[in-house]
Amino acid sequence: MIRKSLYAALIAAAVALAACGKKEEPPKPAAAPAPPPLQAPVAAPAGVTVSTISLGKAIGADKKVSATTDAFGKSDTFYASIDTTGAGTATLKSKWTYHKDGKVALVKEDTQTIAPTGPATSEFHLSKPDGWPVGDYQVEVFVGEKSAGVKKFSVK
Amino acid sequence: MSDEMPDFSNVKSGSSSTATKIYEVVAGDSLSKIAKREYGNANEWKRIFEANRDLLKDPDKIYPGQKLKIPPK
Repeated sequence: MIRKSLYAALIAAAVALAACGKKEEPPKPAAAPAPPPLQAPVAAPAGVTVSTISLGKAIGADKKVSATTDAFGKSDTFYASIDTTGAGTATLKSKWTYHKDGKVALVKEDTQTIAPTGPATSEFHLSKPDGWPVGDYQVEVFVGEKSAGVKKFSVK
Repeated sequence: MSDEMPDFSNVKSGSSSTATKIYEVVAGDSLSKIAKREYGNANEWKRIFEANRDLLKDPDKIYPGQKLKIPPK
């Protein structure tokens, strides 16, 4: 008698376990909240890409450098003009560094978030009231966290 | 041992764009302050206000964290 009820209990348990494994079977009303949609980019590159980076000592109203150069004087202002294509919202970052004997010093980092609807030109500029140290420099431009290009230049 | 790397702490920087810029308000900002920084003229605050009428009811009330559209100069 005891053995019989033990078998019955085992069979009941097995059936219950099998039922557990078939959870997807019964169609249920979709009451559970839908998974959140893909997060909208806040300041991430959403189709904005850099097409050209130019360096110069001055820019026009169109934000483009008047004459490109990679050689600056001590009292010049550095301008980096960045042409972009595409639309969306993107954060442009410029990272300016000074290079000497294999060592690197950060000169300045700057960002701007833009929301172009088509081709656009943005610029970053730097100046130093007491003049730039002579030597080698570079500027790296990022869209979001992704590098979009590097320009090397010097101060003589 | 600072190995005679130059001091760049007094470097001044700026940026602008032909596209609309997005600016996040920080504590202490006002529309005229932002206009002065972005356009070089505090009196241009109205341009920023007009571009953000969907967000701003009162030009004197902006809050940290608000993302304002800054029309190109």
